[in-house]
Amino acid sequence: MSKEMAIATLIKSGPGSSIQDLGRIGLARYGVPHSGPMDMKSFAWVNHILQNEVYNAVLEIAQPGFLIRFDSPTCLALAGGQATISLNGQEIEKSTMLSVKSNDELEIGGFQTGALIYIGIRYGFKSPKVMGSRSFYSGLTASGFLHKGDKLTYFNDSNATPLFNAKAKWSTDWFQTDRIDVYPGPDFHLLEDKVKEKLWSQAFKISQQSNRMGTQLLELVENSLPELPTNPVFPGTVQLTSGGKVIILGQDAQVTGGYPRILQLTDLAKSILAQKKPGQSIRFSLMRK
Amino acid sequence: MDLKAHYIAITPTLGEINWATSPDDFLLAIQLGWLDFLEKEWREHYYEARQGFTTLNILWKSEQAQLTFQKQFQSFKIKPKVLSSQIWEIPVCYAPEYGYDLGALALAHRIRVSELISIHASVTYRLHFFGFLPGFPYLNGLPEILHTPRKPVPDRTVDAGSVAIGGKQTGIYPQESPGGWHVIGRSPVQLFDIQRDPPVIASPGDRLKFEPIDSDEMEKMLISPPYPRKR
Repeated sequence: MSKEMAIATLIKSGPGSSIQDLGRIGLARYGVPHSGPMDMKSFAWVNHILQNEVYNAVLEIAQPGFLIRFDSPTCLALAGGQATISLNGQEIEKSTMLSVKSNDELEIGGFQTGALIYIGIRYGFKSPKVMGSRSFYSGLTASGFLHKGDKLTYFNDSNATPLFNAKAKWSTDWFQTDRIDVYPGPDFHLLEDKVKEKLWSQAFKISQQSNRMGTQLLELVENSLPELPTNPVFPGTVQLTSGGKVIILGQDAQVTGGYPRILQLTDLAKSILAQKKPGQSIRFSLMRK
Repeated sequence: MDLKAHYIAITPTLGEINWATSPDDFLLAIQLGWLDFLEKEWREHYYEARQGFTTLNILWKSEQAQLTFQKQFQSFKIKPKVLSSQIWEIPVCYAPEYGYDLGALALAHRIRVSELISIHASVTYRLHFFGFLPGFPYLNGLPEILHTPRKPVPDRTVDAGSVAIGGKQTGIYPQESPGGWHVIGRSPVQLFDIQRDPPVIASPGDRLKFEPIDSDEMEKMLISPPYPRKR
């Protein structure tokens, strides 16, 4: 089977979309964030059904109006949020596996559910590695986000037929919940009881001020927490500012922070949160250890 | 001061060693001792050990690894590391065109700008860890007279190389970024460079000293950024 370099060209791309692999775990000692997919579950799924390596790079698409042309045959897999999908201008069935021929154009239209769509490709996208990872991060990689005209390399797959024709389901049920499971964070014990009560009883709305660095919640949580020394934070760490802002850190978040670290999301909760759009509500639910 | 180390499991695979004290050289020596111990005895069991001012956080590869570590935690005997005697000289131009908050800051502390500069450049600062941005050094040792609350509204952009004061800290922005610290000068040194290994300047435990340079030297150095001298 021949395996040659091929090019996919972005004809349209909205803000916020990027290439992601497993990221740069282990470089926090230089102040370098993890990066990697916001929704690890969908990322892992597309690589799994393509029989790729677990670390292969995929597209993380944050906006409708994404159009990409493949110059050689290959096999794609889609997961995460669900949108209208068109191939060469024709709307197609929402199937999770898809083979494309030379010069096929794939378009992601309006999102019906979810906030991020993952497109995996056989053998992974081959954008340049910086410090061991292909994940975009502004200041490290040439660009923080994908732009119209970008050319992405991949290996063609001349036998591009879906690997097993089973109609693997593009499931979205798993993130149709407002429940975000959390563990108490290292500074949780500093909270007053009435503040804890509020965290468990209230619904919080996702603010527009949300991106790969962090998700802000609209409702404020008044508190009298002290100023703390700067200490490590992780994707999924929930910070509470003195002004009462609740911030849930994302994959591109800084590696240390000074705000109290009140909660920590479970891995699944991080993926669920990644699929929430501004305006949607979440509720925190405490994990019992 | 309580220098007893405590361990908490935050999630099944994320834990934290913490100390109920303020950051200082002594605690840093203990933290670096722990990092050496982890590196030597537990390296295959975790992805990453991260340092803060008063904690060390460990991202474990498995629940079992964390459970085993936690069970043995009280029995570990950790030798504090002897802190390095290396001092890095970081050239800084404290001219007002780079340090645009100098005047306001001097006024707030009721000292002259020249005094502010000489206080800032007179001491050495201990590097604890990197955070905030790739290559951003967290330094301890800012003289108390220069402690200043962060700006209520952060600046939209702070230039790469800007030397600034925020709270009890001083630091250098390795890249252009929004920032809430008071900018008092700028260094031509490239603090983070992916072409270098390591990409950062200095290691936790080293000290930094700021060496004032004038605008002419600065202009030359901005064209060909120097690698800082060590002594």
